[in-house]
Amino acid sequence: MTIFTLDEVEKTFTNGEIEENILKGISLSLKEGEITALVGTSGSGKSTLLTIAAGLQPASNGEVLFDGNNLTTMSDEQVRKVRAKEFGFVFQFAHLVPFLTVEEQLMLMLEVSGSTLSKKEQKNEVDQVLDVIGMEHRKNAYPSSLSGGEKQRVAVARAIIHKPKVLFADEPTASLDSKRSKDMMELIRYLTKKMNITTLMVTHDEEMLSYVDRILQMSDGMVLENE
Amino acid sequence: MNIGWKEIKKNKSRFLILGSIVFLVSLLTMIISGLANGLSQDNAALIKDLPEGHFYMSEDAEETYNLSRIDTDVQNEIMNKHPDAVALSIQMGFLNDQDDKQQSVAFVTSTNSDLFEQVNKGEVIVDRSLKEKGIKTGDRLTNNQLRDELVIKGFVEQKKFSHAPVAYINREDYKKMYNVEQMQLVFIPGEDSAQSFTGLQSYSNKDFLSTIPSYNAEQMSLTMIVSFLIVISGMLFAIFFYMMNIQKIGLYGILKAIGIKTSRLFKMIWTQMFFITIIALTLSISLSHVFNLIAPEGMPFHLTIETTTQLSIIFLVVGFIGATLSGLQIRKIEPLRAIQQGED
Ligand SMILES: Nc1ncnc2c1ncn2[C@@H]1O[C@H](COP(=O)(O)OP(=O)(O)OP(=O)(O)O)[C@@H](O)[C@H]1O
Ligand SMILES: [Mg+2]
Repeated sequence: MTIFTLDEVEKTFTNGEIEENILKGISLSLKEGEITALVGTSGSGKSTLLTIAAGLQPASNGEVLFDGNNLTTMSDEQVRKVRAKEFGFVFQFAHLVPFLTVEEQLMLMLEVSGSTLSKKEQKNEVDQVLDVIGMEHRKNAYPSSLSGGEKQRVAVARAIIHKPKVLFADEPTASLDSKRSKDMMELIRYLTKKMNITTLMVTHDEEMLSYVDRILQMSDGMVLENE
Repeated sequence: MNIGWKEIKKNKSRFLILGSIVFLVSLLTMIISGLANGLSQDNAALIKDLPEGHFYMSEDAEETYNLSRIDTDVQNEIMNKHPDAVALSIQMGFLNDQDDKQQSVAFVTSTNSDLFEQVNKGEVIVDRSLKEKGIKTGDRLTNNQLRDELVIKGFVEQKKFSHAPVAYINREDYKKMYNVEQMQLVFIPGEDSAQSFTGLQSYSNKDFLSTIPSYNAEQMSLTMIVSFLIVISGMLFAIFFYMMNIQKIGLYGILKAIGIKTSRLFKMIWTQMFFITIIALTLSISLSHVFNLIAPEGMPFHLTIETTTQLSIIFLVVGFIGATLSGLQIRKIEPLRAIQQGED
């Protein structure tokens, strides 16, 4: 079942006098529970496409349809609510809140997503996820005392704790070594499959492609699909 | 979750430093306000303690009360119309005590009124500060312009004029000393607006205070220091939160990306600002009131709860404005910026 559709999405940036057409009419759809990888040369527009899909910047033209809603016509506040409730984000760096413990990071995400669970249920939820990512013993640690791989695992936990429908990941393994990258991909695959989360992921790393269901090749603002 | 509080807990030293500076600035502000208030009390308690009303002095006195002479007919006319009006005169002068030591005083005499002490001929009531100079009730004092002695009949609390203790004397004695028939001033208590009398100019209590030499100069410079300190405290908050925010642009971006409202980020700054300010103010209020109690006798220091409350409110408002101004940049941060930025 299709949960996410981009229809003829275009993006134009104006640098002074020059208009640059970064996305040249992209149409694609994501199937529920599938992991889709966006690959392509640097500057081909992968991150731009991902952030438009995630409602972090508007498209110049075209439509972004999520679960029956048109993100392109929603107000900023409505888009924010969708992001908080239905989307999860992982980026190249973990970007954890430096003054919150691992547990607090996840509790905050639950709160932001508008969770209706009681405090106790939320704590249970957090404990379970921490158990899955193997970080239970560090739940009272602050990010500054975590390793790069640990931080990124917490970032993944934060991205899925509120059971979003879609996970957006922009080069989630780029800051990790090869062993940790594989662990990270395994974790993402395990979690999204278990929770039936649709994933759109940008990656540079060929090795990571074995963990995805579908690969979209981008080139110069266009998508050339291949399997 | 109160993220503002969590941040304070994690970065104690950073907030402790800001808190200490706010504490020191607010303490200094309160001490200087106490001093300003004390000095004004020392300078003009005689006038400040009067109810609201209007003073009248002759137009040709050009705002100098001791050049003013109220025409006796005009005075009578006013007194008939306003039974609570009082005519008074003030002159700086000296009293010689029994050891022939000169004490500088402000002689005050008035027509019959509750607002000023009334004494019989040959008697004097003086400010309590003369007690500390060794003068007692019953002492016989002399004045160079007066043949007869003046007997101390009693003391009054805190009645000062032009930094000198007030000495209330009888009109007859005053006339002999200064050789004048007319009074200098008329005071009509009451909230009503000023009235016009031929040849007289009206002054509100506040306006009259500023005609006292040195009063304005003193108060203005102190008020200026106090306002500067308040502005500085506002800037402290603005600059502190600005620096903190600059460091946190990436973080704010990511928080916005995951769906935190901008208003929540503002609330975070406000919580921090109020938390710090309230603790700093509590400390500086207590300390300045302790200072009020232990200030040396001769030091004109007078801090009221009213003043500290007013200052505290101003500090909170100014801190709020400073923090909010520096927070305005948060609104401009786009979630995207953060993602393209490197590691925190
Ligand atoms: N805000 C912007 N203003 C102007 N140009 C932009 C902006 N954002 C992106 N671009 C341009 O759009 C093009 C595509 O950028 P994008 O970040 O999407 O590439 P990418 O495929 O993610 O590259 P990489 O693999 O290096 O991350 C680049 O040439 C970039 O300079
Ligand atoms: Mg990119």
